[in-house]
Amino acid sequence: MKTSTFFKPLGSERIDPLLVVLWVVLLAVAVLWIAPVLFIVATSLKSTQEVMNSSAFAFPTQLATDNYATAWQRGRYNTTFLNSIVVTLIKVPLGLALSAMAAYALARIELPRKKVLLVLVVFGTMIPFQVMLAPLFRLINELGLLNTYIGLWLPYIAFGVPYQVFILHGFFKEVPQELSEAAVIDGASHFTIFRRIFLPISLPVLAALFILDFVATWNEFAMALVIMLNSNNWTLPLSLMAFQGEFGSDFGPLNAAIVTTVAPAVLVYLIFQRYFVGGLTAGAVKG
Amino acid sequence: MGAGGKALTTPVDSARPVQRRLIASARGQERLQGWALIAPALLIYAVFALYPIFDVFALSFQKWNGLSPERSFVGLTNYIHIFQDDPVFWGAFRNTLIWTALAVSVPPLIGFGFALALNESLPGRGMLRAIFYMPVIIAPIAVATMWKWMYDPFFGLFNSMLTGMGLQSLIQDWLGDRRVALYSIFVAYVWQHVGFSMVLFLAGLQGVSQTLVEAARIDGANRTQVFRYVTLPAMRTSITIVLVLSLISSLRAFDIVYGMTQGGPAQSTQMLALWAYQQSMQIHDFGKGSAVSVVLLVITLLIVLPYLAWRNKAEGDKS
Repeated sequence: MKTSTFFKPLGSERIDPLLVVLWVVLLAVAVLWIAPVLFIVATSLKSTQEVMNSSAFAFPTQLATDNYATAWQRGRYNTTFLNSIVVTLIKVPLGLALSAMAAYALARIELPRKKVLLVLVVFGTMIPFQVMLAPLFRLINELGLLNTYIGLWLPYIAFGVPYQVFILHGFFKEVPQELSEAAVIDGASHFTIFRRIFLPISLPVLAALFILDFVATWNEFAMALVIMLNSNNWTLPLSLMAFQGEFGSDFGPLNAAIVTTVAPAVLVYLIFQRYFVGGLTAGAVKG
Repeated sequence: MGAGGKALTTPVDSARPVQRRLIASARGQERLQGWALIAPALLIYAVFALYPIFDVFALSFQKWNGLSPERSFVGLTNYIHIFQDDPVFWGAFRNTLIWTALAVSVPPLIGFGFALALNESLPGRGMLRAIFYMPVIIAPIAVATMWKWMYDPFFGLFNSMLTGMGLQSLIQDWLGDRRVALYSIFVAYVWQHVGFSMVLFLAGLQGVSQTLVEAARIDGANRTQVFRYVTLPAMRTSITIVLVLSLISSLRAFDIVYGMTQGGPAQSTQMLALWAYQQSMQIHDFGKGSAVSVVLLVITLLIVLPYLAWRNKAEGDKS
């Protein structure tokens, strides 16, 4: 029977009491860490009256699920939730596909000025786009794309490309030559090699980038704020901000609105989580 | 696509004319395919990410309200205004510096601690990692809304907690008091960002040679010595990356301030990114807003460019 290695430092057979203490401390910190989330979920199920009169820590006595219906209607989630879904579900796969194509070409095809392009791309990972909201507004306005999905997809893709190309380039560069050689000899084009050989082997990395990008796109606020000016085009973060301003003291529905906004990203994270750490770090931390 | 066209005619030495042409056309084909693969991403990136960087410089020398066709060149007027007459700018500048200093030190340190602890063999560590990471995936605007409500002076979590513990004297108007508001926001920021550092450090710890750690232990090195002489040197790259990423995300701090205080009370939580936005989009002075943006951009570049050079050199040394 395999004995447990819990609390034993690497290469040691004995339980280290210090590690036990550390573990207990960590558990306590974890409870603190998750408390705000539990607090929000609990409050989202309390009637406003109960929020005012009972302790903040008390569990809801009656589940006020109608808070969610109220939040749905006040936040006009029929519209905004749908907008968020359309924006995210088109932008994320499209952006990833374009990034993967570019990363493949940069990693596997002899091109002049390749190095300059790569530096230019890495540079993009470090630029705070919050700085450029005004010129972005001007550009999108001049293209006549304010309040349109395309007007949001394009800058979202532009700001997703650098990080994704950076990670995928690192990954594609490490793929052994033998894997694609046979196809090259058979005269296959780069498009075929990319689709048939490189895409399938990069699925774990793509999955990790998918979560990252899904969460980032779903949560994005600043750019949407200057591009989606009409409330019919709002995404969930914009709607939550308006909700906070208008109904900020109606605590039950407010917290229900928070939960509704956050839940899809958390769900996607939980579903794809096992790819996450491995894929994220495949290219990032190595070099 | 000019470079692709030029590539077609690049001569290949040391080949006979026919072969030369064949090889050249094959290589031309290859390059064409290469450019076709790169073009869509590069084009979108250039137009919607790189061009605005140049445009923000151009806008900072103009007077423009954002909508009218009238735009006039005003030279350095906007800069003179923000440096000399703008009552908010220097406060925002100071707050950005304080915020950045805190953001590159506090979350990475806590994240490093969590990563070291969760790299040990502990029961339920997957669960613990997930809990510490979870705030990272919550929308910053939702984090702001959550914490704003927890900070509520009358019904919020913190003040009811203090009341419950009999510590009424510590009760604060967390976001309404200009001396504490910035730090109250920062606490929420820490909660959201520690998990991010933790994950990167955990990944870095995978690269610490286990054999080396064991060998050091067998040679009688104690815990501190192993950490100091084995773990820490192997973590240098991860530490640099985390610090740079923390720095960049701290300069980006926008959503969380916008969602909690909008820069108030009395501009005490104002920061450069938010002030640039408010000048342009709310006060409709794109010139002054862009001048503020340029200041922030220049600060960013002063930090980013040396880092890129360092990275490039490190990469060159490796190959």
